[in-house]
Amino acid sequence: MESIKQNPLVKKVGFNRIVLCIVLLLMYALFCILTGGDFFGMRRILSALNYAYFLGFLSLAVTFVIATGGIDFSIGPVMFCCALMSGFCFTMYGMPMPAALVISLIIGLAFGIFNGYLVAYWDVPSFITSMASMNIAKGLASVFTKTQSVSWPQSSQDGGWFRKLVTIGDIPMGLIILIVIAVVCAIVLNQTKMGRYILSLGSNKEAVRLSGVNVKKWEMSAYIVCGLLVGIAAIFFVGAYSTVQPGYGDQYNNEAIAGCVMGGTSMAGGLASISGTIIGVFIISLLQEGIMALGLDKNLQLIITGIIVIVAVFADVVARRRKN
Amino acid sequence: MGEVILTMKGIDKSFPGVHALDHVDLEVRKGEVHALMGENGAGKSTLMKVLTGIYKKDSGTITYEGKEVEFHNTREAQDAGVVIVHQELNMLGHLTVAQNIFIGREFKKGIRIDDKKMNEEARKLFDRMHIDIDPKETMSKLTVGKQQMCEIAKAISHEAKVIIFDEPSAALTEAEIEELFKIIRDLRDQGLGIVYISHRMDEIKVITDRVTVMRDGAYVGTLITKDCTKDDIINMMVGRVIYEDPKTKNMTPKGSPVVLKVDHLNAGKMVQDVSFELHKGEVLGFSGLMGAGRTETMRALFGADPIESGDIYINGKKVTIKSPQDAVKHGIGYLSEDRKRFGIVVQKSVAENTTMADLDEFSNGPFINKKKEKKVAEKFVESLATKTPSVDQLVVNLSGGNQQKVVIAKWLTRNCDILIFDEPTRGIDVGAKNEIYKLMNRLAAEGKAIIMVSSEMTEILRMSDRIVVMCEGKKTGELDISEATQENIMNMATREIN
Repeated sequence: MESIKQNPLVKKVGFNRIVLCIVLLLMYALFCILTGGDFFGMRRILSALNYAYFLGFLSLAVTFVIATGGIDFSIGPVMFCCALMSGFCFTMYGMPMPAALVISLIIGLAFGIFNGYLVAYWDVPSFITSMASMNIAKGLASVFTKTQSVSWPQSSQDGGWFRKLVTIGDIPMGLIILIVIAVVCAIVLNQTKMGRYILSLGSNKEAVRLSGVNVKKWEMSAYIVCGLLVGIAAIFFVGAYSTVQPGYGDQYNNEAIAGCVMGGTSMAGGLASISGTIIGVFIISLLQEGIMALGLDKNLQLIITGIIVIVAVFADVVARRRKN
Repeated sequence: MGEVILTMKGIDKSFPGVHALDHVDLEVRKGEVHALMGENGAGKSTLMKVLTGIYKKDSGTITYEGKEVEFHNTREAQDAGVVIVHQELNMLGHLTVAQNIFIGREFKKGIRIDDKKMNEEARKLFDRMHIDIDPKETMSKLTVGKQQMCEIAKAISHEAKVIIFDEPSAALTEAEIEELFKIIRDLRDQGLGIVYISHRMDEIKVITDRVTVMRDGAYVGTLITKDCTKDDIINMMVGRVIYEDPKTKNMTPKGSPVVLKVDHLNAGKMVQDVSFELHKGEVLGFSGLMGAGRTETMRALFGADPIESGDIYINGKKVTIKSPQDAVKHGIGYLSEDRKRFGIVVQKSVAENTTMADLDEFSNGPFINKKKEKKVAEKFVESLATKTPSVDQLVVNLSGGNQQKVVIAKWLTRNCDILIFDEPTRGIDVGAKNEIYKLMNRLAAEGKAIIMVSSEMTEILRMSDRIVVMCEGKKTGELDISEATQENIMNMATREIN
C-alpha cells in the first residue's frame, strides 16, 4: 500500500483521486450489470451528464468557500433564486435571453458579495450567514415571482437557444464548459495569489494576517467566486429541469458539499482539490441516475448522500488526527 | 526520602523530524523533591507528557507503586494519583475558585451542583496548604501567583501521590515563590513524590533533594543536590554545546540612528504608557515575568491588536499602524512566541511560507512565479541551514527550530528592517537555539534592528545590547547590558507587584 502511494506517478495525480476514479468505474460497472446492460452506452451517459453539470458548478462554488474554512448552505436556494428571478424577467417582462442569463450571474454574485462581506468584515460565522441568505434567497424569489413557478423556454421556443450551452446534438457542450471552468478554477486555486491566500487563510488565518496580508479581502473573494459559480449553475439547472418552483433548492446543498468533501477538500479548510470535486460530483450524479434506472425509491439517494458526507468528513478528521 | 514510587525506564519518543526522547530514565521516591533539569527543548516537558498520558511512548516502561502502568490520558493519571501542575495555567476565568478546582467532578445534590459543599472542600484544601484564598472569588480576579496556588490545590484534591510542577516559578514574584516552596516542602513531608521542572539554578539548590539532568532528549545523569555544585549541573546540561559568548558591552555602533521610537503607547491593561527607542544594529531585550505585557506591547506595535493611544515613529517619521498590513509596509516583521498559531501555516510548504509576507514580489499580475519563489526559498534554506528535504516539504513536518527558521526566512524575504523576536527559542532544541542566536547577532551586525522578548534570563543577558524591563503592563526599567545583572533585572520585573 505504502509503496503504491510513494510511486511518483501516483503521487502526482494524487492517491485519493485515483481511488475515486476506480470507485466511479466500479459503480458504473455495477449499475450496468444490475440493469442488465441497459445502463451501458454513450447516450445514457450523456443524459446522466445533463443532470450533473449544474451540480458540478455548485460543487466548485462551495469548494472555494470550504477552502477558507467556511461553509455555505445558501448555494442551492440561491441557485433557485437566480433561476426564478432571471427566468421571470424573460417570461413575464420580456427581457431578451442574453440579458436574463446575465441577471442570473449578477444575482449569484450579489449573494456572494453579501455572504462574503458579512463573514470577512463583520466576523459573522459563515454557518449563520449562509443560513440567513438561504431564507433571504427563498423569500426574495417567492416575492419576485409572486410564488409562481417559472418555466424556461424549450429549444424550439423563442430564446430556447440557451439550451445549446448544455448540448448541441450529441456534443456535450455542458461538459466542455464545466471542464474549462474547472480548469480555470484549478489555476486560480493553485497558481494565483488569490488561491494561495484562500488556502492559507483556510489553514491558519491568524498567521496569514500577521504576515501583513489583507485577509478580509481575500476571504471575501472566495465567497464572490462562489456566488458567480452559483449564478452559472442556475443556467445549467434550468437547462436540465426547465421548470423551477420557489421555496426549494436546499436538497442540492448536500449533494454539492458531498461532491466537494468526497473529492478531498477538507471541511476544516486549507485543503482543496478541484479535480477531486469534479470526480465527486460525477459519482453523486451516477448514483442518482443508477437509483432511478433500477427503479428504486428516489429518497434512497438522499440517505446515501447524507452518509457520504459523514463518511468523507470523518475520513478527513481521522487523517488529520493521525498527522498530529 | 522514602521508597521508590515511580520509575520511568528507557522512555523513547519520536515526532516527525525530531527524536524528542532517547531512552530516558527517571526515578522518584516518596518524600523527595526531584528536580528535572535541562535547557529548553531538552525534553523535560515531553517526558512528563508521556508520563501523564498526553503523549504515547514509543518504547520503555513506567512503573508506579510497584506495578507497570500506562496512562492513556491525564484523567487516568489523575485517578491513579499522578498530577501535573502546568506552566500555562488551565483555568476558566469566569468560574469561581472552587468551581475550577472541582471541574469535571462537581459535588451534586440530586441533579443540582452543590456549590456550598465545593466551597467548603476548597476551603479545607487551602487550610491544608496554609494559604488564604476565597473559594467564591472569580478566578480571573486572582493574581497569576494565586491562580497557581489554586492549580496546586486542585492537584492535591486528586489524592495525588506524585505531583509534577512544570516551571511553576516562571510567573511568580519572590514572595510568591517563597510561599510556593513552603507548600512544596509541606507536601514532601506528607510523603508525596514531587517532580520539579525548572531551569533556575538557585531554586534547584534551595528546594530539591535530587536532580536528574536531560540534554537533547537524552538522559545525562542523576545527582544528590546537596553533593553537587551549580557548575556540575550546568556542565551536565550544556555538554558539548558552545554558546555564543554573552555580551558584556553594548555592541551597537556609536551614534547609530534611532529606527523605531515608541511614545506613550497604551493598549488595554497590559500595555500602559510604554515608551522606548530602538537603534539600527541593536538587539533590544524585553525582560519580565510571564504576563508582564511584553507580548501585548509587541502585538500592539505590530498592529495585531488595536492601539488606544500613543505614537510610533519610524526613522523619525510618525506612522499610523492599524493592522499588521501597515506594520509590514513600514518594514516591521514579527516572529510570534506561538509559531504554530501565529507564525506559520503548517499545511503549506516551506516555499509557500517563505513568500507569505511578500507574495506581490513573486507575482506577475495575479499569477505566482513559482520558479522564483522556489529559488528564493532554497537560498534561505541554505543560508539559514534549515533542515528540510526540499522547499516543497510541508512545514508541519519540520522540527521547532527549523519552523522558526522558516518564519525568519519569511521576514528576511520581505527585507524588514525591524524584526521583533518574541521568545525566539521557545520549544527549540539546544543546538538550533545557538544557531538562532548566531543568526540574530549576524542580522544585527548587518544593520537590522532587533527586539527580543524573552522570559529566559540567560538569553536576555547573552543577547541584548540594552534591556527594557516590564511589569504588569508598565515599563519599569531600562538598562545597558554593561550594568545589567540577574538581580537588578528581577528587581525591576517585580517592582509593580506587592
